[in-house]
Amino acid sequence: MGLLDVILGRRKLAPPAPDRLFAISTAYVKFQTELGLSSRGTAAIVFQPLSSADFQSIVRDTEEVVRATASDSGVSVETSDDSYGFRWLVLRGSDFDDLVVGINAVSSSLEAGGYGERLLCAVFAFEDERKRVLYWIYNYKRGAFYPFVPAAGDQQRDNERELVLKAQVGAELPVEAELERWFPLWGIPI
Amino acid sequence: MGLTLFLLGLVYAVLVGALVAAGTGAITIALIAGLLFVFQLFTSDKIALLSMGAREVSPAQAPRLHAIIDRLCVQANLPKPRVAVAVTPMPNAFAVGRSPKAATVCATTGLLDLLGDAELEGVLGHELTHVQNRDVMVMTIASFFASIAAFITQMGFWFGGAFDNRDQNNGPAFAVVILVSALVYVVSWLLLQTLSRYREFAADRGSAILTGRPSALISALLKISGTMGQIPQRDLRAASGELAAFYIFPPRAKQSISTLFSTHPPLEKRIAALQRLEAQLQGTA
Repeated sequence: MGLLDVILGRRKLAPPAPDRLFAISTAYVKFQTELGLSSRGTAAIVFQPLSSADFQSIVRDTEEVVRATASDSGVSVETSDDSYGFRWLVLRGSDFDDLVVGINAVSSSLEAGGYGERLLCAVFAFEDERKRVLYWIYNYKRGAFYPFVPAAGDQQRDNERELVLKAQVGAELPVEAELERWFPLWGIPI
Repeated sequence: MGLTLFLLGLVYAVLVGALVAAGTGAITIALIAGLLFVFQLFTSDKIALLSMGAREVSPAQAPRLHAIIDRLCVQANLPKPRVAVAVTPMPNAFAVGRSPKAATVCATTGLLDLLGDAELEGVLGHELTHVQNRDVMVMTIASFFASIAAFITQMGFWFGGAFDNRDQNNGPAFAVVILVSALVYVVSWLLLQTLSRYREFAADRGSAILTGRPSALISALLKISGTMGQIPQRDLRAASGELAAFYIFPPRAKQSISTLFSTHPPLEKRIAALQRLEAQLQGTA
């Protein structure tokens, strides 16, 4: 967004930064060995759907591809819409790396179709040794991860555990440095 | 609190300046200043508590607060201070008292409502570290020395170059002496602010060591400071509209001038220091 864009009032959606997504595959090793976190076997990618036929066909094709490879990778896919008008593509599979690959496949095909700006984030669900759920959210626009730990109560989050997770993961993951951008996702369906 | 310390010292400086200009003997001045200082030392905590409207509370009246302070005192090997509560919606906590044996820790009702147990423990750990480091005593002595510095400057100025004018009641010279005294004091006061900010970092660090949970203190600081810089509550999907397009956040004003005058370091620096501590704790630093 240059000065000219600001003056002329041009809005450009930020393009996604998908290259750092795979960092969570390598970080997962540390999660399991040192931090006692295990994947819940679910991951989701969240995007803003367009009503155009082109977009809908791309999404359908992507789902087909993921389903087609399901027998090899053991990853299943389902879609749902949420109350904000965003679409969730939920992948379920026992192998974490396959989940990451699947998420990347979806984002790549959307980008290839020219709809990369519609991507919001990817969500990976984990649980700790005491079976408490926590999420690592990858913000496509920022190219960084941040933790999200829902707490008991309506729309509550455990800030302390999130900050501890950030410190624990250290340099393994590109973590969002600005705490103001650790936006929660209420009512995650995974 | 910074303004109070400044004005207090200024009072000393101007008073001593006035006494010197009026021709009072050096010993009398020292006696008066010394008496004032002792008076300040012994009554400042009561005055501070009175001004905040703080009331001492018993364990039955504030069980949660007392329980947390008990645990922290055992951990810190400190005698238990008096515990007070001030009824106000502003979240705040402070410690007063010249030594760990004569200390009071006060929390406001706003703070008790806002924070969870771990966060409250972090904040109270910060205050108890102030008590343990005898920060009130240190800052009082330091501010006293600042006015002594002004006093010495006056004496030098007065006796050094104004011998001829001593017998005359020279109005302008009188004013200049007081002015110089005040100026020297201002410079020392700026140094005092630096000292105060360092002590705040030390108190944060002390709290992290005491509780072992620096992230709880970060969380507390974010909650107390309000919405700027805080971990947001707003859903990503609700926020993504304007963010996706512009990604313009209000630029962080450098705030260098205001930092010079404040007793506390800026929130971001405190959080960054605490995050470094957490990373050290987790072994990822």
